[in-house]
Amino acid sequence: MLHSDIKSRPTYRALEPDLAAAGHLLVVETATLQPGGLANLADTFAPVAAKLHTWLVGEAQAVPGLGKPWQLPAVADVVDALACATRGYGIGDRLYVQGTEPFLWSVATAAAIVGFGPGQIQLCHAGSLQRRVWCTHCHGFTEQVTTNVVPCAGCGRHLLVRDHFSRRLGAFMGVMVDAEAPGEIPAIEEVFA
Amino acid sequence: MSIAFKPEETFRGDYSYRNSDAAILRFPFPFPEDKYMYSVNIEPHVRSGPSDVYLRPFDVDEHYIAECRDRAITLERDPGRCQVLPHMMLAQWDTLELLMENLSADYPEHFTLTKEGDDFGSRWTWTNRPLGIEQSFIFGDAATLPCEPFEYITRQAQGDFAICDQRDDNLYMDAGMVTSQADWSLEFDVGMSFMEWHGPVPLAHQTGVFERALKYLLMLRLGQPVRRLNWTMTINPRLDTSPESFPEWGTDRASVTPDNAGQKVHLRVELQTLWRLPRSNAILFPIRCYLASLDDLARVPKWGARLHRVLSTLPPQLVEYKGLTRYLPAALAWLSRHDDGRALPVGTEAGVSTLS
Repeated sequence: MLHSDIKSRPTYRALEPDLAAAGHLLVVETATLQPGGLANLADTFAPVAAKLHTWLVGEAQAVPGLGKPWQLPAVADVVDALACATRGYGIGDRLYVQGTEPFLWSVATAAAIVGFGPGQIQLCHAGSLQRRVWCTHCHGFTEQVTTNVVPCAGCGRHLLVRDHFSRRLGAFMGVMVDAEAPGEIPAIEEVFA
Repeated sequence: MSIAFKPEETFRGDYSYRNSDAAILRFPFPFPEDKYMYSVNIEPHVRSGPSDVYLRPFDVDEHYIAECRDRAITLERDPGRCQVLPHMMLAQWDTLELLMENLSADYPEHFTLTKEGDDFGSRWTWTNRPLGIEQSFIFGDAATLPCEPFEYITRQAQGDFAICDQRDDNLYMDAGMVTSQADWSLEFDVGMSFMEWHGPVPLAHQTGVFERALKYLLMLRLGQPVRRLNWTMTINPRLDTSPESFPEWGTDRASVTPDNAGQKVHLRVELQTLWRLPRSNAILFPIRCYLASLDDLARVPKWGARLHRVLSTLPPQLVEYKGLTRYLPAALAWLSRHDDGRALPVGTEAGVSTLS
C-alpha cells in the first residue's frame, strides 16, 4: 500500500465491495498483481460476484469467482470501452480500480466523463511507484517516470518532479530544474521505482 | 479621487515600473514584528487599516492602466491563465456585479455603472474611463459581452482572482484569472480542493493553519469580507512570475549582487480578500499584488531594518519554498546597511510622513 504525506495526493485504500450497490465494475492492471492476487480479489468480491464485471488489462489467467473476465490489452482500451459503453452506468454502480497511479487516474478520468462521481469510485494503488508528469511549461505529459528529474517528452526541458498532484490531470507537476542556472542539473536518481 | 496613472510603465522587458513617493508610503508592509511565521492572520476587510490601500475594498492605484495592459499581454500568450469550469456562470455574474458596483461607487471619476434594474435581464452600461471602455449589456446574458463576464471584468481590475465553489464542506478552486501569481499554476490547480491547492506549503499543515482557515472561510457571510496579507520576493518588478514562464525569469534570480540588490530585489505583497457571493454562494478570492524594491522600502527606516531582521531569521523551509535561496545572501548584505540594531516598534505603519 502506498503511504504518502503529499497533501494533494489522494489516499489509496484496499478495495472493498459496496454491498448496497446495484452493479460492480472491477478494473485491474494485471502487470501489478502479486502471485495469487487475482484469487485474493475473487475472495474480496465474492459477496457481489453475481453483479460483478471484471476487466483485466494486460496478460492474465482468469480465476474462478471473477465471473467471465473481459481481457483488454491496454489502458487505452479501457478508456475506449468506457466511452463506448452502451449499457450505461447509474448512480447505484461502483467502479473499483487497481494498478499503478497513472493507470488509476486514466481509468478514473474516463469514468468521470461517463458519469461516475467521486463517491462511486475506489482506487487501490499496486505495483510500481512510477509517476505521470505534467510539464508546467509546455503542458505535455511524460509517462512512466521513475526518476527525480526527467527530460520532458514534449519540450525536452529537464523537469524536477514536484510532490504536487492534480487529480484533474492525473499527474505530478514538473518544473524546469535548471531555469535559474541553465545546465546545472542535479544527479538523476531512481526514486519512484 | 483623482489618480495620476502611469500608463507607459512596464513589468517586463525594460521593467520601467516605479513607485511614486506616495505609493511607497501607502505600501502594505506585511511585517509587524522582527520574525515571521505562518498564522491564520485573517481580519475583517473594513475601510481602514495601517495603510491607505485598505481605504477602499478594491484598491486602484497609479499602476492600474499598466497592470491591465500587462495582463492582456500575458493572456495573449497564454489564454489558459483564465479558466472557468462550466458550473460557475452564476459566480461569474456575481463577480462582475461586485467589482462594477464597488469601483463605480469608490472611483466615480474613473468608473460609472448605470443600471435599468438590479435583476438578470436588466440593461446595464459600464464606463471605464482610464481604459477608454464603454459597454452596454444585459446583466445575465453573456452573449451581450465581448467575452464571458468573469474574464470581462477581471481584465479591467488589478490583481489576480480565483473563485472557490463551496460544496461538501470544502472549497474548490473552480475559476481563476491568474496572470500575476507568485509561482503557482492555475492550469494545474483548477478544480482542486482547499487542502490540495495548499499542498506544497511547508510547515503550515502541521500546525493546523489550513484546517482552521477552511473552517473560518466556510462560514464567511455576505457583506462581511475578510482579508489577509501574504508575501514573497521577486527579482525585477515582474508580475508574471508563473511556473509556466519560469524559464524566462528564473535566471534573474542568479543576477543579484550586494550592489544591485536595492534595485533588483522586490518585496511582493499580496492583499488577499475573500468575499461571499450572493447568488452562487461561492467565494471570490482577489489577490492584489504590490511590488516595492529594497531601495523603495529602505526609504522608510523602520521597514528597511525590519525586513533585514525578518529575512535573516526566516525558517530554511520557507526560504526554499519562496525561492529565495540563490539571492538571499546578497539581499541580506544590502539590507544590513539599513539596520542599526535599534528596537523597532511593533506594527506595520511606516511611522514617517516623508521619505528619507
